[in-house]
Amino acid sequence: MVTLRISGIDCYYGSIKALDNVAFSVREGEFVGILGPNGSGKTTLLRAISRTLKPRVGTVFLDDTSIYDMENREVAKNVAVVPQETIATFDFTALDIVLMGRTPYIDRFRQESREDLAIVKRVMKLTNTWHFAERLVNELSGGEKQRIIIARALTQEPQLLLLDEPTTHLDISNQLEIMDLIKHLCETKKLLIVAVFHDFNLAARYCDSIILLNDGKIVAVGKSDETLTSENVRKVFSVDTIVKKHPVTGFLHVIPISRPINQQQKSLSVHLICGCGTGSPLMKILKDEGYFVTAGVLNLLDTDQETAQLLKIPITSEAPFSPITEEAHTANLQMISKAKVIVITPTQFGDGNLRNLNAAETALEKGIPTILLEDGSIEERDFTNGKATNYITKLKNNGAITVKNTSELLQFLDKLENKNNKDSHQKKET
Amino acid sequence: MTSMNLSEAEADYFKRFARWKIIVILLTLALILTIAFAVTIGPMQIPPLDVYKIIIKNIPFIGDLVRGGSSSIEEVVVLQVRLPRVLAAAIVGIALAVAGVVLQGLFRNPMADPYLIGISAGASLGASLAIAFGIGLSFFGLIYSIPLMAFVFALGTVLLVYSIARTGQGVQMLTLLLVGIAINSFLLAIMAIVRIVSGDAIHAIMAWLLGSLVASNWSYVQIVLPFVVIGVALIYVFAKDLNIILLGEEQAHHLGVDTERLKMIMLASATLITAAAVSISGIIGFVGLIIPHIARILVGPDHRILIPSSALAGAIVLILCDTIARTIVRPVELPVGIFTSLLGCPFFIYLLRKRKRSVIG
Repeated sequence: MVTLRISGIDCYYGSIKALDNVAFSVREGEFVGILGPNGSGKTTLLRAISRTLKPRVGTVFLDDTSIYDMENREVAKNVAVVPQETIATFDFTALDIVLMGRTPYIDRFRQESREDLAIVKRVMKLTNTWHFAERLVNELSGGEKQRIIIARALTQEPQLLLLDEPTTHLDISNQLEIMDLIKHLCETKKLLIVAVFHDFNLAARYCDSIILLNDGKIVAVGKSDETLTSENVRKVFSVDTIVKKHPVTGFLHVIPISRPINQQQKSLSVHLICGCGTGSPLMKILKDEGYFVTAGVLNLLDTDQETAQLLKIPITSEAPFSPITEEAHTANLQMISKAKVIVITPTQFGDGNLRNLNAAETALEKGIPTILLEDGSIEERDFTNGKATNYITKLKNNGAITVKNTSELLQFLDKLENKNNKDSHQKKET
Repeated sequence: MTSMNLSEAEADYFKRFARWKIIVILLTLALILTIAFAVTIGPMQIPPLDVYKIIIKNIPFIGDLVRGGSSSIEEVVVLQVRLPRVLAAAIVGIALAVAGVVLQGLFRNPMADPYLIGISAGASLGASLAIAFGIGLSFFGLIYSIPLMAFVFALGTVLLVYSIARTGQGVQMLTLLLVGIAINSFLLAIMAIVRIVSGDAIHAIMAWLLGSLVASNWSYVQIVLPFVVIGVALIYVFAKDLNIILLGEEQAHHLGVDTERLKMIMLASATLITAAAVSISGIIGFVGLIIPHIARILVGPDHRILIPSSALAGAIVLILCDTIARTIVRPVELPVGIFTSLLGCPFFIYLLRKRKRSVIG
């Protein structure tokens, strides 16, 4: 059973500390992904493991031997590296390049033997490169070239395979093909694999565990759903993300929303009457603008309900696919009474959620400004035989304001916010 | 183990080793023919057969087999003038071509040549000082002012460049290149001063700078030969490592190559053979740049065949160029550097054009 153990290493470039007390271990057949922002030490870590940059403190053990105590060739027989990109200066064929992987096994004055070539052939068939063995490397596509380099790494017959963003320059089909190949090797050949990634989703899809690096330190280690949380991602990358299992693939999916905006908190609280995803973009925009946002009533499992949950927006909710009950309606009215403005999104209305319009009517009567975001006529969205249309018409007659798009809405809210601030000032003065 | 029945690609691969042997044998034959041709050419009309008789007569053991008289003057011309000169051309050609291969490989740059890191500037300054002011160094009591000054200055310059470029982590090739360029221009500036104050010696300096084998004699051959033989042999030992370092130093390191040691041995060997060659020939341009390219086109990029074929081709080309240089406008001798450049320049431009096309295409 082969293991890789990194024992608290510190690496430096001159006086700059690039890795700070990094420690972890990898077992046979395990695929470990390293994620982190640019300059977080990912590549440095790979260089330390590949014996390219000697740590000042700590060392790298393969089984129980420090690789820094091993001969160059001994390391090359155990550890192979696939870099981001390879540039061959002169015209070598694919076969020439792959054969170079046998270097640590061939004495200086010996030529490659038939056994060497047999190994090369087997590996090139495995990596689906044998059919272009005699083509010049410089004339291959990026994906073909990268497969050649992986083949070369495999002819070293390593126990540990290190990959530095192996698919960064490749298209999506090549990315998956190469990652599938690597995963397959990891499982069948019981390789230890350590790979640097930039793509969360690729890492989550293929890695058994993930190491999150920041500023040369390990922030989190573990399975992808333990390490790739939106809290961790925000801490390390300063980006807000939605992390969830993709319904089709079942893999963890990290979707960036935006960089967090340090918007000043506004005094206005906005209540959204929405549903079916019509409120989702608005929730994000209003929150970024600094408004206090509430919403309701939303059915559980509704897209808008899920968005609200991710954005930590308080809502009044109802059981899935159920009409709004008296209880939920009352709760919603209570929530609305604290709001300074109501926004009704162009959602569909059926008998189940008609009560939300009733709530809006009540709010308007109490003097809470109500805004209708319009997109197409209400008739098309009315599944209540005209009841919803009646409500909307009544709301308009009673002073509800209509806006055509989000920017008009934001302008209007901005005016309200200013007025609200002035009012509260005056109140304080008097 | 996979079946031992070879597919086409595999069979082709093993054919290459046989092909390499044939290439080396053919080029060696071509070199012998070139030498045989070159020694028959000269201002004094000596029938080719007589030339060969003179040469064979002086080879130990088999010399007795040849009979027939030739005048002692003819013997002196063939043995003391033509033969050492042709051999010197061969040795210089080998040295420059192999050093070119090494530097193009190490710098991973097809534009590199043996003079890249200061050898030419150093040697030129040393030779100029010797010519202009008679500054000389003695060597085991023998005085070869110009060659020895050129040799010592060339080595000193490379050593200076190397030690400036060297850091705790080893030598970065790009830094080495830049330091080489800086030192080159610094030394050329000093040389300009030397030339200005040198008076009549300026003609001799100019002639030396263009490169010429006119002063060649047996002692030159004897002194330079060991450097070139040992240097080229050492370089050949590391031929496979040179292949691998073409993929970049980090990848070579990952394949088990001790890159720092390789760079040091290769730079030292290339410098020694170039400095030795330059010390007896002056600055002969383009051989070290172009021969490796021609060889690469003909035999491929693998250094195991590239080094021997470049060496042999370098020898052949320089002997031919020198033969033209010493005969084309009799009785005047032109510097051989003129012909290597005259022939090399158009070829170099052709190469550049070809590169440009492949970049665009």
